[in-house]
Amino acid sequence: MQSDQLILALLTLPVLWAVGLLLPIPGLQRKRYAWAYSAVTSAISLTLAIVVAMNFDWTHPGDMQLSGSIDWIPSMGLSFRYGVDAISLWLILLTAVIMPVVVLSSLIEVNHDMRQFHFWLHILEAALIGTFVAQDIVLFYVCFEFTLIPLYFLIGVFGHKEKLKAARIYFLYAFTGSMLTFAGVLYVGYVGWSQTGLWNFGIQDLYEIGRRMSMTEQCLVFAAMLAGFGVKTPLVPFHTWLPLAHTEAPTAGSVDLAGLVLKLGPYGLIRLAIPMLPDAALAFAPWVCVVAVIGIVYAALICRAQKDAKRLVAYSSVSHMGFVALGLFVFDPGGIAATGAVFYMLAHGLATGGLFLCIGMLYDRFHTREFGRIGGTAKFMPVWSFFFMLFVLASVGLPGLNGFPGEFLTLMGAFDSELWWSKPMAVAGALGVILAAVYLLYMAGRMVWGPPVIPADHEGYLEGAEHGVDPNHRHDLSWREITTLVPVAALCLLLGLMPMPVLRTLESPVVGLNEPVMAIVESAEQAELQVTEGDGPREAVVQAEGETAGVSGTGLPSGARVVVVGGEGVSHE
Amino acid sequence: MSLFDPQIAAYIPWVSGLSAVVCGLLCLYPQFAKLAAGVCASAVGVGFVIALGIWGNVTHAGAAVNPEPLMRWIEVAGLEANYGVYLDGLTMIMLSVVTGIGMLVVIYAAGYMRGDPGYARFFAAVSIFIFAMTTVVMADNLVLLFLGWEGVGLASYLLIGHEYHRPAAVNAAKKAFIVNRIGDFGVLLGMFCIFDVFGTVRFEGFLPAASALLTGDVSGLVGEGLAAYEQATAVLAGGGEWLLLAAPFGLMVGAFGKSAQLPLFVWLPDAMEGPTPVSALIHAATMVTSGVYVIARTMPLFELSPYALPTVAVIAGATAILGASIALAQYDLKRVFAYSTVSQLGYMFMGVAALSSTAGVFHLVSHAFFKALLFLTAGSVMHALAGQLDIRKISGLRHKMPVTFVLMGIGCAALAGLPVLTAGFWSKDLVLATTFDRAIATEGGTAFIYLMVGIVGVVTAFVTGYYCFRVWFRVFFGEERYAMGDHPTHHDGHEGDHGHDDEHGHHANEPHEMDWGMNGPLVVLAIGSVFAGLLLGPTHAVEHLIDGTSAEANALRVGDDATKYEKWVHNLMYGVSAVVAFASLALAFVLHGPWRKVEGDDPVRLRAPKVFGALNSKLWIDEVYGAVVVYPVRVMGSVFYVVDAVIVDTVVRGLGVVPRLLGEGARPAQSGRLHGYGLGMALGVAAVVAATFYAMNRG
Amino acid sequence: MDQMISSLTFSHYFLTGAVLFVLGMIGFITRRNMIVMFLCTEMMFQGVVVTLAAAAAMHGNVTGQTFIIFVLTIAAAEAALALGLVILLFRRRQTLDAGAWSELRG
Repeated sequence: MQSDQLILALLTLPVLWAVGLLLPIPGLQRKRYAWAYSAVTSAISLTLAIVVAMNFDWTHPGDMQLSGSIDWIPSMGLSFRYGVDAISLWLILLTAVIMPVVVLSSLIEVNHDMRQFHFWLHILEAALIGTFVAQDIVLFYVCFEFTLIPLYFLIGVFGHKEKLKAARIYFLYAFTGSMLTFAGVLYVGYVGWSQTGLWNFGIQDLYEIGRRMSMTEQCLVFAAMLAGFGVKTPLVPFHTWLPLAHTEAPTAGSVDLAGLVLKLGPYGLIRLAIPMLPDAALAFAPWVCVVAVIGIVYAALICRAQKDAKRLVAYSSVSHMGFVALGLFVFDPGGIAATGAVFYMLAHGLATGGLFLCIGMLYDRFHTREFGRIGGTAKFMPVWSFFFMLFVLASVGLPGLNGFPGEFLTLMGAFDSELWWSKPMAVAGALGVILAAVYLLYMAGRMVWGPPVIPADHEGYLEGAEHGVDPNHRHDLSWREITTLVPVAALCLLLGLMPMPVLRTLESPVVGLNEPVMAIVESAEQAELQVTEGDGPREAVVQAEGETAGVSGTGLPSGARVVVVGGEGVSHE
Repeated sequence: MSLFDPQIAAYIPWVSGLSAVVCGLLCLYPQFAKLAAGVCASAVGVGFVIALGIWGNVTHAGAAVNPEPLMRWIEVAGLEANYGVYLDGLTMIMLSVVTGIGMLVVIYAAGYMRGDPGYARFFAAVSIFIFAMTTVVMADNLVLLFLGWEGVGLASYLLIGHEYHRPAAVNAAKKAFIVNRIGDFGVLLGMFCIFDVFGTVRFEGFLPAASALLTGDVSGLVGEGLAAYEQATAVLAGGGEWLLLAAPFGLMVGAFGKSAQLPLFVWLPDAMEGPTPVSALIHAATMVTSGVYVIARTMPLFELSPYALPTVAVIAGATAILGASIALAQYDLKRVFAYSTVSQLGYMFMGVAALSSTAGVFHLVSHAFFKALLFLTAGSVMHALAGQLDIRKISGLRHKMPVTFVLMGIGCAALAGLPVLTAGFWSKDLVLATTFDRAIATEGGTAFIYLMVGIVGVVTAFVTGYYCFRVWFRVFFGEERYAMGDHPTHHDGHEGDHGHDDEHGHHANEPHEMDWGMNGPLVVLAIGSVFAGLLLGPTHAVEHLIDGTSAEANALRVGDDATKYEKWVHNLMYGVSAVVAFASLALAFVLHGPWRKVEGDDPVRLRAPKVFGALNSKLWIDEVYGAVVVYPVRVMGSVFYVVDAVIVDTVVRGLGVVPRLLGEGARPAQSGRLHGYGLGMALGVAAVVAATFYAMNRG
Repeated sequence: MDQMISSLTFSHYFLTGAVLFVLGMIGFITRRNMIVMFLCTEMMFQGVVVTLAAAAAMHGNVTGQTFIIFVLTIAAAEAALALGLVILLFRRRQTLDAGAWSELRG
């Protein structure tokens, strides 16, 4: 197989697996067989993803590699363009790792329509991978939007009490937002068409077109994109779908949602919005950051008021994703914050996914997730408690676990940024570090430590006993569950102690995508420098400032677009 | 001259890390849990041996040794934070204290914890602690230091909550972690400021640069230091001066959190919920001193900011006197020592605040010895009396526990600073003398601050002597009287195979002396408490070590001329200290000595019940915290949750109503009758045709 | 006869198509019997077919006539299907009145 077809294989394989589930194979209706089928197939997909990673040239992580193109609807300029850089590839690997884990975890909880369940899981994997490899903006949008459908069914069919409401609200929120995104995407395509007479939706080509648009156009398109990506991320106040969806979703749905689907929002921002609309991104940056920081603190405080462990973790996701949004929009010179933010996307997927898995295992046993109804698990479920504490500490951002590098780099980059508003943001964001410890240790204190509490109405859990685990510890994890958690836990530890392989490869693509914005920031600084030092071509700068006086709120001391004039002035000397 | 290559020091934490993993695995196999103590002790021992082995190499280098990092950790853009080690005199002292005392405490704990159901878990957590603590003292950059910093916090959390079935222990653990997190917030901000100014977080980079900024002497700068200096001058020229002023305050908050200074000291007394060896190792000898270490390490930064060190001095003085006063009104043996630790940490900060890392670190070392000794002897008492800690219920134990009696006496003497023979005398003396030195060397408000702090230090010394001898007299003198505690651990309550065999069978009614497996380490500590002072004090060994190896430490005294070092202040201090120590001993003897009048209560409480009650309730500081911090956070959480659930949700539903209303409006059109649809379709087509027709005719 | 035919212009053909279509439409809207309504739709079809034939002749190509074949084929298939459905509906309610079926009322 040629290396450029690897990506296609990666994309089609999950679809094939899903179709395979629909075939009238007699055994597949049976619960364990469908589960085993899905476990094996998702493991094969993971293997393929690893093969892809091995074919990737890691010495040039910023380049689009393994790329290719297939005509789709040529008359509309749509083609199936794909390719990966390190950001996409790490996210694909995360997807491929999470999927078998999710399948493994779902044996007890999902007890009806097994084939349908696994079908949607595979479809979701395909849609996610499609989003990450897409190099055509319409293809990107189609895959981005398509993630809604499997999740809608995963929540709506396999969820808990209020599953229908949760699924509906999730769908409406995400769909409304992304319709606006689509409008924005189409508009950029239209501008391109009106300039060249050709329809072209290649992401790389649209970068050029987007950057040439006027400030007003950029801002409108950016706002449209922010609507879709911001709801997915989620940014406060468009986050209310998330706690509901998480609480009602089955474990598999929660893990997929928190671990993978939430990452589509920031991914869209850094892949599309920021490089395509640099001026608007800079203009919006302070507001996005304010919203992100408010989200960090606000959601963290809400966490402290929760009684339901799963809802607490869901709100903590809102708080944590605020760090990601903050990191993407502070535009520090070295790209530290953005690199940290992308790293944090991966880390959050693992740590929060791990927490959801643990809580799901608890729910399988006791049918409750409420503090007070269940507690002191360290006594009767020591292994579970170990994993749970590990993920709690990873979420707290303990150095040595995976939460720390992302959080730390994000905040440090934010503080290091040259934009005048970024330092207060970093300080306020760092408050989230304290609050995370407050609410997560509150949860740990209620659930893991203290005197043992078990719901009175519950009748033992026997899966472990089947497998010959010590009958005195029959509440504790079975080997299947340990197998589920070990890879996640190991990755948490590995990414915490040795994040370099990831960080090193993320740095150059992130810096590359941020470059247009950074160019604006830097030249603005130069212009300001000239004004203050007074030895530059003062007239040109002043004149240029006059031109852009109308553009306000760029977040820069002097207008962002000025700069080019000022910069040229310098080079003439 | 030296056994090992300094490079090998980089492995010290990882040996303990490995031990943590092994002990963790031993948790799964209760039949082998006994091995955990041995694993842990040998890991710490290996660290100690390595530390001694490289000692010569480091001290003869004349400057900090900074070998290639073991492995890369975080490197993005200009930020470089790898697993590197930075070895100088300060590090070597800290490293030796951590691994040396650590090893002694682990050996003691091997006996003390016997029979505990979480035996292996305990030693796993201790191994994590040693891993993190050695990382703190050896890290070659602030981020790695922060890894250790948080790591010791984690270990402390796990160990305070070791007996996790007791809610008090769980809450204490949580409180310790969260209060420390507040400090960590400060460290983060300090780190951000430093990176912003110097463009590096490596000590090799920003410490020489800061020294150069201080002295204006750039001749010695090379490589990283020069780059950091250049960046710093650029930043300062660009209006970044406030960052440089803010940086030490950030680090200070962190140091105060970790080292239990005002106002962040509240967690330390509660931390006594942990097993006593933990209190000795973590909450007395090592972890809580890491704040002092950080300030000593980044001293040039603190000097760059004119307000930083006086602030440290004020906080240190206030904490010292406050901790000591609360200690004198406590009945709980361990709590007395806990507040004593708070107060003694204040002395260490006084030392560093007086520009003398030497004094701070010297006191740190001697305190590590005598406070570990005091805690472990307290643990022995507790062990013997099945958890009894209330000094109102214990009396006259000197015949039952003669060795413990002597050992605690030595510890108290050192804490009180009885002259000449004890380590506490030499180190406390140096602290106070340098503080007055500083008052003489400076002028105006700063001088006044140092003078006041010094006086407070002397008063505190008196209080200290009183409260520690109060405990010693109460516990060991007078008529023999004791009530056994109700502590279930170590003795009864666990079924099965672990550790419940021989010498612990007789616990029922008799207090007993510890075996030599436990007393052995205490004797070593007692020897240290005495001779460490004589060895290090008059010889100025600490000073030579610290000043001789860290290039930047030499910049310390450049500000004020080294010749101003006032000899007479020191000589005077020796006298004053001696008098104060004996006076306090005398007072304690009168009130609590063998011929005391009041039994089972405190004479001070009877004389001044209000003052004593206030001190006994720890001045209600915990309650203030509850009202000002904890409660508001919880209320805000609940309010926001309601807001989120009600208001935001209502808005969403409001949006959802719009399509429904539209639907209601259009409903009559759907009659369900075929003819209606047909007509509608026809009219629609007609309208389209008409419009097209109209448009075409116009065109 | 020939003359009469030749004097017919294209507009006559279009008019015929239109008349057929409109008659069919009026019938569809006014009649309640499902079979009659179905026949009316057939009439509308024929109107379109006539128009197509005329347009084809007018443009002098065969595209329109190709479509006629296509439409007629579809119409035949559809007639078979539709009558089958009508019979099914009749069996359910024993009436051919289209008004009996209004479950889709909003």
